[in-house]
Amino acid sequence: MKAKDIMEQVKDHLSPDDTIRDAVNKMRVVKRDDGIVGVKGMIVLDREGNLVGMVSVKDILKAIIPFYMTMTELGEFTWEGMLSEMTKKVADKKVEEIMVKDVITVPEDAPLMECADFIVKHNLQRVPVVDREKRVVGIIYVRDLYNAIVKVLLNDKEVENI
Amino acid sequence: MTNEAAAATQPFVMNASFWTATVIFLLAYALIVSEKVHKTVVALFGAALMLVLKILEQKEAFHVEEFGVDWNVIFLLISMMVIINLMKPTGFFEYIAIKSAKLGKGEPMRIMTIFALVTAVLSALLDNVTTVLLLAPVTLLIADALEVDPVPFLIAEALASNIGGTATLIGDPPNIMIASKAKLDFISFIYNLTPAIIVIMAAFLFVLKLIFGKRLRVKPELRQRILEMDEREAIKDPLMLKKSLFVLAIVITGFVLHGMLGYEPATVALFGAGLLLLLSGTHEPHHVLAEVEWPTIFFFMGLFIIIGGVVKVGLIKWMSIEVLALTHGNMFATSMLIMWFSAFASAFVDNIPYVATMNPLIIDMANQIWPHLQGIKLLHNPELMPLWWSLALGACLGGNGTAIGASANVIVVGLAERAGRKITFIRFMAYGMPVMILTVLLSTVYVWLRYYVLKI
Repeated sequence: MKAKDIMEQVKDHLSPDDTIRDAVNKMRVVKRDDGIVGVKGMIVLDREGNLVGMVSVKDILKAIIPFYMTMTELGEFTWEGMLSEMTKKVADKKVEEIMVKDVITVPEDAPLMECADFIVKHNLQRVPVVDREKRVVGIIYVRDLYNAIVKVLLNDKEVENI
Repeated sequence: MTNEAAAATQPFVMNASFWTATVIFLLAYALIVSEKVHKTVVALFGAALMLVLKILEQKEAFHVEEFGVDWNVIFLLISMMVIINLMKPTGFFEYIAIKSAKLGKGEPMRIMTIFALVTAVLSALLDNVTTVLLLAPVTLLIADALEVDPVPFLIAEALASNIGGTATLIGDPPNIMIASKAKLDFISFIYNLTPAIIVIMAAFLFVLKLIFGKRLRVKPELRQRILEMDEREAIKDPLMLKKSLFVLAIVITGFVLHGMLGYEPATVALFGAGLLLLLSGTHEPHHVLAEVEWPTIFFFMGLFIIIGGVVKVGLIKWMSIEVLALTHGNMFATSMLIMWFSAFASAFVDNIPYVATMNPLIIDMANQIWPHLQGIKLLHNPELMPLWWSLALGACLGGNGTAIGASANVIVVGLAERAGRKITFIRFMAYGMPVMILTVLLSTVYVWLRYYVLKI
């Protein structure tokens, strides 16, 4: 099996000009292949449809935490309501400013082991699959790879059982 | 200057080596000012040229004090950086900052005053950049909690850090360089500069209150946010903190006594760094050592060699003759010229290369006025001493003039921009330049009154 055999369709994407508020809304309403509503990360495409970035729930959290808190240990010195104050402050920030720009992708004919290796090595939740022209044709989620593993293990068991 | 070095200085002729060295020196300084190439790269390449073109012998650059690397400065800087790097993770600085904000009872003006004072004191004992880098994040947090503009706080801290750094031998790199070249000890700096800085700091705080006193008001419920913080939670490693404070106490005591005990400041600092590394029980010193500001250290090394080259060919001597001609040998006029010129020069260019050039210039000047004196008798000539203090006051306080005058300024401007509050060059100057002029004016009165009227 190859990457393209287990990947899921791209349902929606963000554009660099979207605000964080737009992004949160798009990610909340999109329907997945398995029928569940909402995703925890989305690719960012420019007007020509080129992949320019990726935004995950964690990137949005990072955007809300003030940068000075990452410079030193100040977690104990926050106050009630600070999270919502900071959230309101960054609501209109552009996706462009918070997205991860160096997106790791896999080619559509990559073997599954390559995908698994990438996902673990770079600590990813999802990896876009691209064709020869570097256009995004799908996305592989950790759960897709996991499902492939489950299939192998359960099939083996059935063989043993027989 | 030792006899050996005096003999090695070429007779003052404008020959090929004179011009080669002068061109390397001027090009290097122009490149450093232009910021087209990183200053450390310029300094190292310029130093290499001085050696390759045989302006200086390698032995002179590495082993002769007058022409080469001042290892006293290098090891003092490295050792202090190591001590601070080991101390940082303990949470000590966050503790101090939160405690200060609480002492200010959440009142913005009180907090600004206390932060400025704390910054000044810490900058006098540690380096300015570290102090500002450690206090600024807490400042931004406090400003967010009180819903006030952090910019006045950040600018006040940068200015206070440059003022405080002027007070001691270890406070600011120019002082470290002056101390090493002029063989002045820690106590001399305390005795001669600290009184001036106390007066200047009081005036600075008064000005802060005048400018911001009425503007900063916050609601009582926001003040409560500060009062509810528990500074003790900042301490991450109480054991290491105790060890750090123990070593810091030894180092400061060592600085106070180094002249009496016959140790160089670098020896004291190196002992502290070694001891704290040992006490930390680390088996992996790589991280702590890697965090030393190596680009700054190498900048110093390259610069010392470049200066060594122009000292050897006589450029600095020629400059000193010109300065003396300008002031007709009047020492008060010379010290005022040095102070004010240093202030404006340091406001726009890095004060480190500036002071590195001025040090040998002052010594050459002294050589011409008192040709029969040598060594300490020359360097510590009572008539020469006010020049060293004028250089220190001018070069350190001058850093306040513009956003690029001192590293602490560059850092707060950068942090403010990241916080979404851009401080333009003009806005910084609107605060910095008047403060610089006020503080240098006070220094002028101080030097005049103390060394030329009261003569104490």
